[in-house]
Amino acid sequence: MSKIISTKAIRGAHKLVARAEKELQRVLDEKGPQAKVEFPNTGYYLPISYGILGLKVETLGGLQELLDEAKRLLPPLPDERLWVPYLGHTLDAGMASLFADEIIEAIKYTHNPLPYLAETSPRDGHLWLGAAHDVIMRERGIEFVDGTAPGFAACVGYCPTNEMAVKIARELQEKNLYVFMSAATDGKSMAQQLAEEGIEMGWETRLVPFGDDVTATVHALGFSTRVALSFGGAQPGDYQRILRYNKNRIFAFVLALGPVDDEKHAQAAGAINFGFPTIAETDIDNILPTGICTYEHVVSPVPLDKIVAKAVEVRGLKIVVTKVPVPVPFGPAFQGERIRKEEMFVELAGSSGHGFEFLTTRNLDEVEDGKIEVIGPEIDDIEEGSQLPLGVWVEVAGRQMQPDFEPILERRIHDFINMAHGVFHMGQRDINWIRISKEAKDKGFKFRHLGSIIHAKFHGEFGKIFDKVQIKIHTREKEVMELIELTRKVYRERDERIGSLTDEAVDTFYSCTLCQSFAPNHVCVITPERSGLCGAYSWLDGKAAHQISPTGANQPIKKGQVLDSIKGRWQGINEFVTTSSHKTLEAFNAYSMIDNPMTSCGCFECISCILPSTNGIMVVYRNYAGLTPSGMKFSTLAGTVGGGVQTPGFIGHSKLYVGSAKFISAEGGAKRIVWMNRELKEELAPVLKKIGERAGIPDFSEMIADETVATTEEEVLAHISKTNHPALAMPSMF
Amino acid sequence: MITLAISGKGGTGKSTISALIIRWLAGMKGGPILAVDADSNVNLNDLLGIPLKETIGAIREEMRAKISNLPGGMTKQQFLEYKIQSSLVETKDFDLIGMGRPEGRGCYCYANNLLQDVLHTLASNYKYVVIDNEAGMEHLSRRTRQAIDYLLMVSDPSPRGIATAGRINRLLAELETRVAKRYLILNRAAHPLSPAVEKAIAAEKLELLAAIPEDQNLLMMDREGVPIWSLPLDSVGFEAVSQMMTKLDLGRERT
Repeated sequence: MSKIISTKAIRGAHKLVARAEKELQRVLDEKGPQAKVEFPNTGYYLPISYGILGLKVETLGGLQELLDEAKRLLPPLPDERLWVPYLGHTLDAGMASLFADEIIEAIKYTHNPLPYLAETSPRDGHLWLGAAHDVIMRERGIEFVDGTAPGFAACVGYCPTNEMAVKIARELQEKNLYVFMSAATDGKSMAQQLAEEGIEMGWETRLVPFGDDVTATVHALGFSTRVALSFGGAQPGDYQRILRYNKNRIFAFVLALGPVDDEKHAQAAGAINFGFPTIAETDIDNILPTGICTYEHVVSPVPLDKIVAKAVEVRGLKIVVTKVPVPVPFGPAFQGERIRKEEMFVELAGSSGHGFEFLTTRNLDEVEDGKIEVIGPEIDDIEEGSQLPLGVWVEVAGRQMQPDFEPILERRIHDFINMAHGVFHMGQRDINWIRISKEAKDKGFKFRHLGSIIHAKFHGEFGKIFDKVQIKIHTREKEVMELIELTRKVYRERDERIGSLTDEAVDTFYSCTLCQSFAPNHVCVITPERSGLCGAYSWLDGKAAHQISPTGANQPIKKGQVLDSIKGRWQGINEFVTTSSHKTLEAFNAYSMIDNPMTSCGCFECISCILPSTNGIMVVYRNYAGLTPSGMKFSTLAGTVGGGVQTPGFIGHSKLYVGSAKFISAEGGAKRIVWMNRELKEELAPVLKKIGERAGIPDFSEMIADETVATTEEEVLAHISKTNHPALAMPSMF
Repeated sequence: MITLAISGKGGTGKSTISALIIRWLAGMKGGPILAVDADSNVNLNDLLGIPLKETIGAIREEMRAKISNLPGGMTKQQFLEYKIQSSLVETKDFDLIGMGRPEGRGCYCYANNLLQDVLHTLASNYKYVVIDNEAGMEHLSRRTRQAIDYLLMVSDPSPRGIATAGRINRLLAELETRVAKRYLILNRAAHPLSPAVEKAIAAEKLELLAAIPEDQNLLMMDREGVPIWSLPLDSVGFEAVSQMMTKLDLGRERT
């Protein structure tokens, strides 16, 4: 909290209240307390005092009442030596200033001729529009509610050049924001600058000149107070609801252009009450800690060419691009469209060229939203039938962005680019492949439009988690090859992170009922640490499949309450299993092969079963045709295990599950393995090595028997006794 | 999209007829054609004079083998799409896809489920899909969920061959594969047909679409191993196929 800002704001409030008092006294002396006073054509009286205090000001006497309230709120000026928390005082000073503003503006309406135009746009050299009529408020305020306009920028002061004023106005318009202008500095204001440049102003163009007086700034907050009263269902006097509505629903902020005097500081303090931050060009210090506003309260100094972007960021404004700006039809209907060679203008990356798609997180000040660069030839620079490398490098920044979201966003590039008619996209990461049709090229589709699609769709789908995105499209071999190495390093790191995903880290598992055509009562439950027993489905596949077809064979299941963390039993899973198995199963344990083990369809890659005398288990892969130490062949075992029934001591599973930390962990895990068929043992050698390392038994693999040393349970027992297998020392399995 | 499946026992000449149909459709320029080689024994690509790239069967095996280690954390759906899209052999007139070997042991539920989706999406990009299919209807019933508009069962002009066609016909009815129209084609048939053959057709309740005569040019083409495009347009075999397609009222649609 800055003492400098507080001091200035409080001083400004004192000045404004004093001015209001003086002007009110003069007009009271002239007209008396019964004289009518009002903002024209409104049912909301003076909207801020009506909304915040519930006060209906209709006469000069009413203004006196409001003035008393302002004076009561006015805090003392901060002591030069004493440091106390100022935010509360600053907020009070801000509110007192707004009341003073309303008094001064209301008195203006008692003058003849009226100080403001009654129209909705400037006319005949008259610039200032003053308080909006209710008709305008209803017509325009609804845009704040339905999202057509996210909010407004209250611009005070002026820019060093007219060009800069125009540029800022245009930038704000592009973001669909209203531009409310007031408060001239040294007789100069942004609205005048726009007028000099012949820019059309008025409510229709969303460039609204309120007044050159600093007190006219109150019409911006008055407008949003009326929106809260009219559309937000807030009652007059319910200041909490009005302020909260503004903070949550109206994305507004103050842009302080040029020098900021005490009175302007006081306006900024008023705006903070509504959750609207101030971004200043000049150095007026900062109020950074969050509290009232979503993020910072006052940020300065910010160069004018970055001030809009900064304001959008500080206010937490989400940009919505409603129409994807590409010259070809766009929509999900065009997904799955193949561009045949004969129709193709250019091929990017794919099997004959290099490419990548990469998304990374940057700091907010390193990303310029919507910036798209094509590095290398554009589509116009090349011949029909060309093949080029393609690197799509996407940088995002956002206050809610996390590195974990990177792959999720990156994967969606595929879906989004495919929505463009005449553009074909396959793959992801460093095996991407794009074709653009001749037709699309003729319609004006350029490589840069790949960036436009990403920009628009990312904002639409992921606006909650990021704020800005910029895209570089590389089409030159040299850069693509350099960057591809960088990206591969990150891909590897990500894969390792995914590999370490645990059952505990997620709250949702996925079901798989693809095989119910064979085993009608079987349901697979796929967890991060237990893939489907056919080996095909991982938890991520289940998740992806559910996203693609929400009513398909893979449904999300909430784990719910943990009933047994050792055996892997959850309330939510049990309920799902009961329903999906058509009530043949009541419960199952994900990590046990003895107590209610998971059922199998018949698709399992491997079968594990206990060999009682060894205190361990055998694992056999489906390709093994010989007799196993259990006395049964795979085919016989399969009959015992399959068909969706629970057989204690027997489970079907995928090869990879053997390597999971949750492999029969309730019974002590993979250390129980005393026999495997040789082919499987060889294939899983790296996995067994890891299991050994984990258990502190480096030569674990050699302790496991296979058909070359043992085909009966007795021979297995002999082998493991000789090698001192850890299973012998483990507790009994029953 | 119009899907034609040509099926028959080995040696009946169904692949030759498939190739002739593709050539005829290409000549009509009615829209893009997808040729599907769904017979692991005969190579439609040789008849069409183009090399075959990776087959769907090989891709499926690769996916199953790499299941734990797909490139770059790709989902299997994406991997499969990518591989299948890049396995297409592309020519000016048509694209070709090879189904490859039938599946081995193990569970194919997942792989086939994905395949169906991908193939269906791919096929919907074409005006005509011509499937050279092996006799057992394996692909029709399991690997694609393609609705078949025309099933053309090719047989030699013998009562035994016709009985086989009849069996396929009944099987399809049982399998509920979505086949709109089923016809019989007799290949290398002399006119008129023998009474025994006529009787067999009637007994199997088959509708005879065409009897394609022996064609010396085709025989020579086969011997020399040259593609279908070198066949003179006035060859009797091609003329017979032209008449047959005209009878089906195909080839005139515009995209």
